[in-house]
Amino acid sequence: MQRLFHQLATRAPGSEAIDPTVLLAGTPSLDAHARIGIYADMFIWRQIDALRDDFPKLALLLGDAPFYAMAEEYLREKPSRHASLSELGRELPDFLREWSGEGARADLAELAALEWARAKVFEEANVKPAPPERLRMMSPDALPLARLRFVPALRVLDLAHDLQPLWQALEEGARPGPPSPHRQCVAVWRKEFDVLHAPIDDDEAQALALARSGEPLGTVCEAFAQRSDAVEAAFRAISSWFVEGWILAEPEETP
Amino acid sequence: MSIARPYLGHGIGLRPRHIGRLLAERPPVEWMEAVSENYLAPGGRPVAALEKVRRDIPVALHGVSLSIGSTDPVDVPYLRALRALADRIQPAIVSDHLCWGRHGGRYVHDLWPLPLTEEALAHVVERVGEVQEALGRQILLENVSSYVAFRESTMAEWDFLGEVARRADCGILLDVNNIYVSARNHGFSAAEYIAGVPADRVAQFHLAGHSDKGAYLFDSHDAEVPEAVWNLYRAAVARFGPVPALIEWDDHIPDLEVLVGESRKAAAIEAEVQGLRAVGS
Repeated sequence: MQRLFHQLATRAPGSEAIDPTVLLAGTPSLDAHARIGIYADMFIWRQIDALRDDFPKLALLLGDAPFYAMAEEYLREKPSRHASLSELGRELPDFLREWSGEGARADLAELAALEWARAKVFEEANVKPAPPERLRMMSPDALPLARLRFVPALRVLDLAHDLQPLWQALEEGARPGPPSPHRQCVAVWRKEFDVLHAPIDDDEAQALALARSGEPLGTVCEAFAQRSDAVEAAFRAISSWFVEGWILAEPEETP
Repeated sequence: MSIARPYLGHGIGLRPRHIGRLLAERPPVEWMEAVSENYLAPGGRPVAALEKVRRDIPVALHGVSLSIGSTDPVDVPYLRALRALADRIQPAIVSDHLCWGRHGGRYVHDLWPLPLTEEALAHVVERVGEVQEALGRQILLENVSSYVAFRESTMAEWDFLGEVARRADCGILLDVNNIYVSARNHGFSAAEYIAGVPADRVAQFHLAGHSDKGAYLFDSHDAEVPEAVWNLYRAAVARFGPVPALIEWDDHIPDLEVLVGESRKAAAIEAEVQGLRAVGS
């Protein structure tokens, strides 16, 4: 029974050949076909709405009909396997890498990856960030040996396109330009409850990766060695990590 | 065997639109209900709001993904996450729906009705036992709005619901709007439904609005509770007594004041019905 109902209510391929009256009773005003159709419409609309909530810029870029078509194709290929709708879009960026439907463009998967990172950062654990003063309070001797711990609400994406002009155009309701091929690292984080993202330089991304893997600041700072102002650049970057709330408070810093 | 029936008064759903105000102000209602799946994430603004609301007033956790009637095995990781949330929030009530929504490991994110048969009844009863064991507490199951009836069904929905509650020793979350919607869609008597549900198992009411699609009523949760549903609520209060009642509003969510106004109306109707009973006794 559940197999048949599932086929009908999800409009699975081949379900057109199933007679719903075998399973369901109808009435003169609403026959079994119309009744199962209510479920079939709800099945697809609810999930597409959930995807639209998690990928608002992607939906805006594609437009209503192409977004619906893309989402329907995605949901057929990657049906939900998680109790929460908030996990529905997990595989959408990968899906879009191979997708070639109406509105497909080279930066679509990366736009989806950015929106997915923002959605996940939004719901990461609420923890207290370290106060920015901590960096200034470290003694010069202790600084190279210090290791930092990071808040969970931080992601770094390595993208092949500059998404800033596209994002800004979509924010402003302007006509988006063509994809802008330009390798770029983008940090995505949450400050209080606001989700933010911004490009970061390659050497800062490398320093950040070292710091997040547990390397001491002395090693982390070597990522800036190519710069003429290496020491200042390293201090600026690490200071900004504190200011933006990327560094986790130590137990003694938590009230 | 019995079901705990704490009286919480009249509440509203905790919805994202009002989270800003709820973080800043004390909730202006006696209790709130949160959709469990929206709070399984480790943190974020909604979780902070739920924790803040819980510090001020009682909270119920209302799930949509338990899929108690599914032939799939119970989703153990989901139950573990729900248990962890419940342990942290200490809700007054944990509930979900008498339905199914998972097949072959795939979630449909909808509340599909069950055939009303002895076989389905036995299946649900067994699974409620498994769930209550995993959660370490009793749950309430809610009657869903439905648009289809199975040819193989052999009993009335209220008998099925009552038997599940009795045999599994769980409670009933009676959705008054769902009774009204399903009664219209299937041509049964809503009054007979209310009269047929075991009174000692009903531990919560839901009240909501619906849409009239002409050939059927759709459970849209996007409008004020209509007068016909308020009237049915009067009948429910007369039969079941004062039971925690909650206004559900999930689409085109209005200002907090409108929701609070609806919950106050529920309180006034409850008082009115209790007063009438006292006068008549």
